Amino acid sequence: MNSNLFNKVLENPLSKAGFVIIVSIFLLAMLAPLIAPYDPNDFDVKSILLAPSWQHWMGTDGLGRDVFSRMLYGGRVSLLVGFVAVGISTAIGIILGALAGYYRGWVDTVIMRLVDVMLSIPSFFLILAVIAFLTPSIINIMVVIGLTSWMSVTRLVRAEFLSLNDREFIMASRTLGAKDARIIFSHLLPNSLTPIIVSAVLGVAGAVLMESGLSFLGLGVQPPHASWGNILTDGKEYIQFAWWLSLFPGMAILITVLGYNLLGEGLRDALDPRSEAK
Amino acid sequence: MLKYLIKRILWMVPILIGISLISFFIMHLAPGDITSNEAAFNPETSEESRQKLRELYNLDKPVIVQYGLWLKRMVKLDFGHSFKSHQKPVFLGTTDKDGNYTKGLIEQALPITLMINLLGLAITLLLAIPLGVLSARKYQQWQDKSITLFNFIGFSIPGFWLSLLLMYWLGVVNDWLPISGLHNLNYEHLDTWGKIKDTASHLVLPVLIPSITGLASITLFVKNGMLDVLHQDYITTARAKGLTEHKVVYTHALRNALLPLITIIGLSIPGLIGGSVISETIFAIDGMGKLFFDAVTSRDFPVVMGILTIGSALTLLGNLIADIAYAWADPRVRRGVARG
Amino acid sequence: MTTLSLLNTPSIKKTLPLIGLLLASLLLTACSNPQNEAVDYSQQFPVADGGTMVDAMIGEPTGLIFMVSGDSASSAITAKIFNSLLTYNGDLDLKGELAENWSISQDQKTITFTLKKNLKWADGKPLTSHDVLFTWQLITNEATRSPYASDFQLVKKAEAPTPLTFTVTYAQAYAPALDSWASLQILPEHLLKGQDIHTTVFARKPIGSHHYQLDDWQQGEHIKLSRNPLAVLGPAHIEHLVTRIIPDKSAQFLELMAGHIDSMGLDPIKYSRVIPARPALKKKLNLYKELGNSYTYLGFNLKRKPFDDVRVRKAINYAIDKQEIIDGVYLGLGINIASPYKPGTRWSNPTLTPYAYNPEKARSLLKEAGFSDSDGDGVLELNGKPFAFEIVTNQNKEREKSAVIIQRRLKEIGIEVRIRAIEWASFISRFINTGDFDVVILGWGLGLDPDQYNIWHSSQQAPGQFNFVGYHNPKVDELLEKGRTEMNPDRRMAIYHDFAKELLEDSPIVYLSAGYGLTAIHKRIQGVADPVPAAGVGYDSHRWYIPQRYRQNQISEH
Repeated sequence: MNSNLFNKVLENPLSKAGFVIIVSIFLLAMLAPLIAPYDPNDFDVKSILLAPSWQHWMGTDGLGRDVFSRMLYGGRVSLLVGFVAVGISTAIGIILGALAGYYRGWVDTVIMRLVDVMLSIPSFFLILAVIAFLTPSIINIMVVIGLTSWMSVTRLVRAEFLSLNDREFIMASRTLGAKDARIIFSHLLPNSLTPIIVSAVLGVAGAVLMESGLSFLGLGVQPPHASWGNILTDGKEYIQFAWWLSLFPGMAILITVLGYNLLGEGLRDALDPRSEAK
Repeated sequence: MLKYLIKRILWMVPILIGISLISFFIMHLAPGDITSNEAAFNPETSEESRQKLRELYNLDKPVIVQYGLWLKRMVKLDFGHSFKSHQKPVFLGTTDKDGNYTKGLIEQALPITLMINLLGLAITLLLAIPLGVLSARKYQQWQDKSITLFNFIGFSIPGFWLSLLLMYWLGVVNDWLPISGLHNLNYEHLDTWGKIKDTASHLVLPVLIPSITGLASITLFVKNGMLDVLHQDYITTARAKGLTEHKVVYTHALRNALLPLITIIGLSIPGLIGGSVISETIFAIDGMGKLFFDAVTSRDFPVVMGILTIGSALTLLGNLIADIAYAWADPRVRRGVARG
Repeated sequence: MTTLSLLNTPSIKKTLPLIGLLLASLLLTACSNPQNEAVDYSQQFPVADGGTMVDAMIGEPTGLIFMVSGDSASSAITAKIFNSLLTYNGDLDLKGELAENWSISQDQKTITFTLKKNLKWADGKPLTSHDVLFTWQLITNEATRSPYASDFQLVKKAEAPTPLTFTVTYAQAYAPALDSWASLQILPEHLLKGQDIHTTVFARKPIGSHHYQLDDWQQGEHIKLSRNPLAVLGPAHIEHLVTRIIPDKSAQFLELMAGHIDSMGLDPIKYSRVIPARPALKKKLNLYKELGNSYTYLGFNLKRKPFDDVRVRKAINYAIDKQEIIDGVYLGLGINIASPYKPGTRWSNPTLTPYAYNPEKARSLLKEAGFSDSDGDGVLELNGKPFAFEIVTNQNKEREKSAVIIQRRLKEIGIEVRIRAIEWASFISRFINTGDFDVVILGWGLGLDPDQYNIWHSSQQAPGQFNFVGYHNPKVDELLEKGRTEMNPDRRMAIYHDFAKELLEDSPIVYLSAGYGLTAIHKRIQGVADPVPAAGVGYDSHRWYIPQRYRQNQISEH
């Protein structure tokens, strides 16, 4: 991405807001050990379910753990799940999409049938079944979300490749005898990178939401590790009493997912030739 | 066209077998079977009786043999009986020799889930289309931006959190809506209008909350479609002909912008059939999502297989119908298909 | 392009307001519902028949024949529909239910039950000893897949010589027999004869003899019971019992708050924090607590080093502060136990005291066992191997929290603990049945008979059996064998007191706590025994009643 595009993204107040949100949340999560006032797993049975105060900015949970510290560390886990899951799905999507779009013919047919199969199984069902089988650990959750959400990237990359394939500069390198791998990696892929990035940014948002949904069903990141999803799930039982247990993780998920969506949309807009016209 | 149809339908067979194969092996790789539930972990029960159960359900046979047995029955559209729910049929109901009808599990759950999700889809579309058109017409202006922001907020809220908050606010703090379930306890004794009102009020939250979540993507889709179309020659021509902007937008542009929506709806079919485990759990609705989740946790293999297979078959069928509808609605594609 | 005509201008314009109107009217109709007026529920009224009580359960019963269903949701309903020969009274002593009395033969092998006279099924047909015999034949039948059959397969001969007598003969004296007859729900022969117990429609349309009979079962929504006028123990007061199926506990609690359900089991936080903090809730709910017949424990894999060393087990027992777990996990609503029996019952040995929290003693015991922190990293080693293990538990909030607390206490004495929580079916198949675990946190829910042969006898270690910790103690084996054949209650008590003492000394598991069962019941429901009898809050629910005044906002009683 060039700086021109970046400036264009920041021109739009919504995507600028998204960018600021993501950077701040990212910083907070990275700096968690410096910022967190308490050890996120350090419990204190004498201060169970305390409301927010100067000592505990976001109150304490059912074991007397500091919610603010858990939120910071939970943020790391939630973001990690998002990034790795999307990394996996994007990698699979790029490889399969590139194969299908570049070689076409039977390779294309087989890969696209596989996409059809995957799209026909209700994906949440698949995730549920696989996680129940693999037992929910952070790694398994990332892998499973990744393995069940690569289909749209595949389609996207394939479509990009198909449209680029006939462009002159690709034709030219082909007639000049360039190797397939070289054409794919130095010509086709860089030119389809931006839509992939947009879809990855949106994918992170989806994965963060997915983790919270899995937590609700008891299949998310397992305690004692904190994630926003499982803090929220813990808090849902006491939504009318210990409101701080659900409000903060709920808002954190909302704001983060919103941030990614705004940024992703901003990127898409900035890349859109139509916005030039305006 | 007919050739194309037959080809598509024939394609469904290997895809379905692929799906069933994947599902079957995932399910059977999972540790545990129907006998490893929490109730069975009771010192008053015995391992011999659990073993007897395994033998009865063929769970002691190799997985490949079990798959063969399952496939053999499935060819006759017999999805077997649930291990857990007292031998209820998985798909369609059966009548025993005394004339007692037992409803099938999927037969019971699918209509509920479909009703909720179709209503939700209808509401989403009815909101998303005008919002998307407005966004496109006021592109980059404040209307567009606030619609985008609103939609994204709706998309970003964890659904179960929003559900619980609304249930608390509308059901407990104010006695405006029922909290969970599909019917009031006195449903049987209501008149027709009362029944409709009762069901409708129970449906408000379970239908509205997923529609809010789904609003963002469809609105964006409509918006982008509109933006594409509004720049095309025939719209410019229409404008040049002196048609009012209103007429240009709604009669000429919208139709073409909405065509690809058919595909999107086709793609959302697995969601329509699958239902949301989370929202069905929260709202105590006995739909497909809940049925599937319970079947997975209790290792009720026939139910899991039945749902995955029937769900996928319906999805494939739905996609086919969406493609046909698309071809029928778009003359360009129609000609293309007829030729191919 | 007629398909899309719906989306033409006029239609959109028309449909949008229509939807709006629909939503608005929904809200309006909802608003016009009569508000729950603030009724004063503190008044006591005389006993009155009628009314409807609503509660909720998280899962749907699989069927209403308990011997083949076996899940807790099924048993909660069937216990209201079917009787057993015997039952427990409020103080947990056996008494007759269908049986008037029973006698045990000289050689202790034969039990003769005499049934009460004029017993009737809810359909008016007489209930006789032939039904009892039929039920026994059914559960012991090869084709019946009952998880509870093993107790009844020990019966060598069962007979119904007269319509009022039923005798069973065991190959040898079997002390838990009476308890097993208190758990076997008697089924009607005239409706089930010749039916396949696994597919019969009876499982969804049962006829029993107890206080209630099934009225209506709406799949996934609710089960409605109504009073059985022919109930063998006399009719109950409340006319209808409705159990709604609400899978999510937080949704259930919202329904309780809104007054749509009358009773619900609570967790400690709701019991001691949420409800007391809300005057409006406190005004309409009564809270009850009872000691359940279950406990949570930390179990060692005794076949693995170093847990085969009793000093290590004791050290860990001393290092865990049980009071901290009770305070932190149960908010004080639990008790510390020293034997695997419900405290206060005759089987629980009152002379035993739990291991106190004593980290110093723990350290010295570990030292004795050869552990030392030779590399100074804060973790103990034995022969160069650090002392680290994994606690596995199922997904249960209380157990997870206990694990977190234990983790820190063990770290303080130099033991590194990892925690893993796993969904039940995987947990059992992958860890318990294979014996592939270090330490588990689990709970035992026990019957009322003291026999724990299945859990502790060394012969019960095969995969799928319940001595999965691999406990082997010849002395305990002998006591368990003796306890099974001793029919005299006092001598039996002495045996189990010795057993519990040996078990505590050997420490194959660490008793963490026995939590209270906590229940909220709406004050509309009167006649609930308080304090709760040993047998539990629902023990005499047929005596509960709803005064006429408190029956507003009820489902109409056509």
